[in-house]
Amino acid sequence: MTATALVSVVDDDESVRESLPDLLKEFGFAVQSFASAEEFLASGRVDETRCLVLDIAMPGMSGPDLQRELTRRSLPIPIVFITANEDSCECARVLDAGAVSCLIKPFSEAALLRAVTTAIQAG
Amino acid sequence: MARDLAVAPTERVPAIRPDYLLIADCIPGLIGITGPDGAVESCNRAVLEYYDVTLEAIQGWASSKLIHPDDIPAMIARQKRSVETGEPLLNEIRLLRADGVYRWFQIHGEPLRDSQGEIVQWYVLQTDIDDLKRAETMLAGEKRLLEMVALGRPLHEILNSLCTFVEQMAPECQCAVFPIDQDEHRFDKGFAPSLGDAYTGPLQGVPVVPGAAPCGAAAVHKTQIIAFDIESDPRWLTSAYRDLALGFGLRAVWSTPIVSRSGEVLGTFAVYQRHPGSPTQIQQDLIAQFTHIASIAIERAQSDSAIRRSKAFLTEAQRLSSTGCFYWLRPTDEIICSDETYRIFGIELGTPVTVQLIASRIHPDDSQRFNKRVEERRTDGSKAEAEYRLLLPDGSIKFVHLVSQTIATESGGVEYTGVIQDVTEARVAEETLGKLRSELAHVARVTTLGELTASIAHEVNQPLAGIVTNASTCLRMLAADPPNVEGARETARRTIRDGERASEVIARLRALFSKKTTTTGSIDLNEATREVVALSMSELQRQRVAVRLELADHLPPVKGDRVQLQQVILNLMLNASDAMSTVEDRPRELAIATGSDGADVRLSVRDTGIGLDAGDPDKLFDAFYTTKSGGMGIGLSISRSIMERHGGRLWATRNRGPGATFSFSIPCEPHDMLDAAGLTYQHQSMMVG
Repeated sequence: MTATALVSVVDDDESVRESLPDLLKEFGFAVQSFASAEEFLASGRVDETRCLVLDIAMPGMSGPDLQRELTRRSLPIPIVFITANEDSCECARVLDAGAVSCLIKPFSEAALLRAVTTAIQAG
Repeated sequence: MARDLAVAPTERVPAIRPDYLLIADCIPGLIGITGPDGAVESCNRAVLEYYDVTLEAIQGWASSKLIHPDDIPAMIARQKRSVETGEPLLNEIRLLRADGVYRWFQIHGEPLRDSQGEIVQWYVLQTDIDDLKRAETMLAGEKRLLEMVALGRPLHEILNSLCTFVEQMAPECQCAVFPIDQDEHRFDKGFAPSLGDAYTGPLQGVPVVPGAAPCGAAAVHKTQIIAFDIESDPRWLTSAYRDLALGFGLRAVWSTPIVSRSGEVLGTFAVYQRHPGSPTQIQQDLIAQFTHIASIAIERAQSDSAIRRSKAFLTEAQRLSSTGCFYWLRPTDEIICSDETYRIFGIELGTPVTVQLIASRIHPDDSQRFNKRVEERRTDGSKAEAEYRLLLPDGSIKFVHLVSQTIATESGGVEYTGVIQDVTEARVAEETLGKLRSELAHVARVTTLGELTASIAHEVNQPLAGIVTNASTCLRMLAADPPNVEGARETARRTIRDGERASEVIARLRALFSKKTTTTGSIDLNEATREVVALSMSELQRQRVAVRLELADHLPPVKGDRVQLQQVILNLMLNASDAMSTVEDRPRELAIATGSDGADVRLSVRDTGIGLDAGDPDKLFDAFYTTKSGGMGIGLSISRSIMERHGGRLWATRNRGPGATFSFSIPCEPHDMLDAAGLTYQHQSMMVG
């Protein structure tokens, strides 16, 4: 486990942006949060991101859109999708497209830790 | 003529001066002179001409037919009395004219006395009063018949009396009345008391045609038909009627049409004679007069029967429509009711009805309002409508609708009158319908709930994720060494906030989908809209729909059921979202706008979807009309019925660009009007998700 690995959180829901980084920091990760996919892409921190915790449903560019965009740019950042919609099809699609994991909100800290760790190790 | 006999004196009487005799002969009246004992001594010329008999024959009057046999006993008695007492002789008797006809005469005899006061002669003047007498009898007969008509006696009774009376007036004749059945154009049962049913029977049902009988001809040609001798009259030589008439010994048949005031032939009046002949002038006068009375009697009978029929129709109509009528005599509080009114109030027919009795039937909850209205109506005669519940003695409850007002009477007074309708069935049906409608609305809400499952899960899961994450963080911060108490406190606060957010979502859901009865309150439509948008945000976002809220500031409140109105808004939003589900070439935009013109508050939901089909946009609101393969088509129909029950409207219009706009309007709460000019629009654009 790389203690200083940067985990980027992209979610339009403010409470997620508040709570998730704190927990990830408790785990020992460096965390940066973004309110939209566009903001993440424009942040200049894409390259150093070792794991992307990405919300599926967002206005504008959605999580899967960002996944496709990163693939197009050949930026294979491991992605942990999070979603409040219990839509198995959506999860299956993003996993097929190469995502490491797809967590349904609310998820346990164990599941989160397992997914993020797996992602960083995969990267 | 035995002219010289007129002046035959006797030795016992003083000679009559010749000039007096001349005068006596010139007087049109009949003058007889008798002795003190009443024996005829002489008479004037008019007497001899009248009877065309000799003085001797006149002298034997008491045992002859010169005086009508019925009148002889009275005449003898009166003369005896006058002879004994010297009182003037006064009497009315019938005297036989030369042509065999008795005529009525007034008899007036005065005694001639000598110087000692002894009666020596009686001078008796006989005045022809037959025409007068006849006119009196006619008048009395007419009066009696008209009385019978006025009293509403049965027609057969009146027409039989009429025939009998005419036969009395013209003893040489018999007569009959044949009413005509107007619908069938046949003769009805005729009336001929002296000929009987054996005569009228065969004529009943005979078609009214000229060839059938003189009566038929009279009715068809609307003119009097005289058959001088039915035996030889060529017009009816082969008719069955000829044999019938001859069988009854009738020869002359005179038929006169009985014509109503409007010119309709009601029947015929037939007069018969047992020997051939034409009517005399007197008979013609009788026929004319009694044909007229027969027309009055038949018309009256027809209008009576029309009134009876119309009354029967009215009663039947009142019964069928559960509608009664009444008159209220306000000074005495007496109420005159139709049968149906009695039935509605559960009052026994014929019971005197008063305001107090009616008031006792009004449901206690309505009686204060009723009593107040009654007092108002005592002085106010304008048209009024009200609805009351009745509580009848058997415990049943009725709903009645009352319409009343004063009306001017023909006599120039006013009457307070009204109708009352039993609308219980309609009210019960309405209540049942209302229950069904609310159940259906609930079904529709639950159906909507199904469509929103994902959205609701999202709305709940979002804060739950925050709670779980924050709680985990909090525990970790506390478990650190040293514990990060400040961080833990912050995460705990966030946990609480997220928990509240979740419970708000649940509360909104519960409000929107619980099956509770209608509650009316003051509603801020903007606030109601925001809540619905919040619940459906995720669903809309999932459908990639951008929501724009254009909510007017200072929107006046409306009165209504919050949940129902929110259901309509939700319905319109989900419909708009569905309409855009196949749109890929343009933004999926949903704009919700509110506004007010001061009287109504309007809300519209505009989409950029596939728009409305060509044709009538109103068809969308029919129950079970749907353009969605999976939809029930209930949504818009229920939405419209909800708006209508709020006194509002719901309609659809095509956009200038792509898509459609569904709008509703609802009246502002009346006491809280805001200045429409002060309204501004707050444009609030947001993407939800």
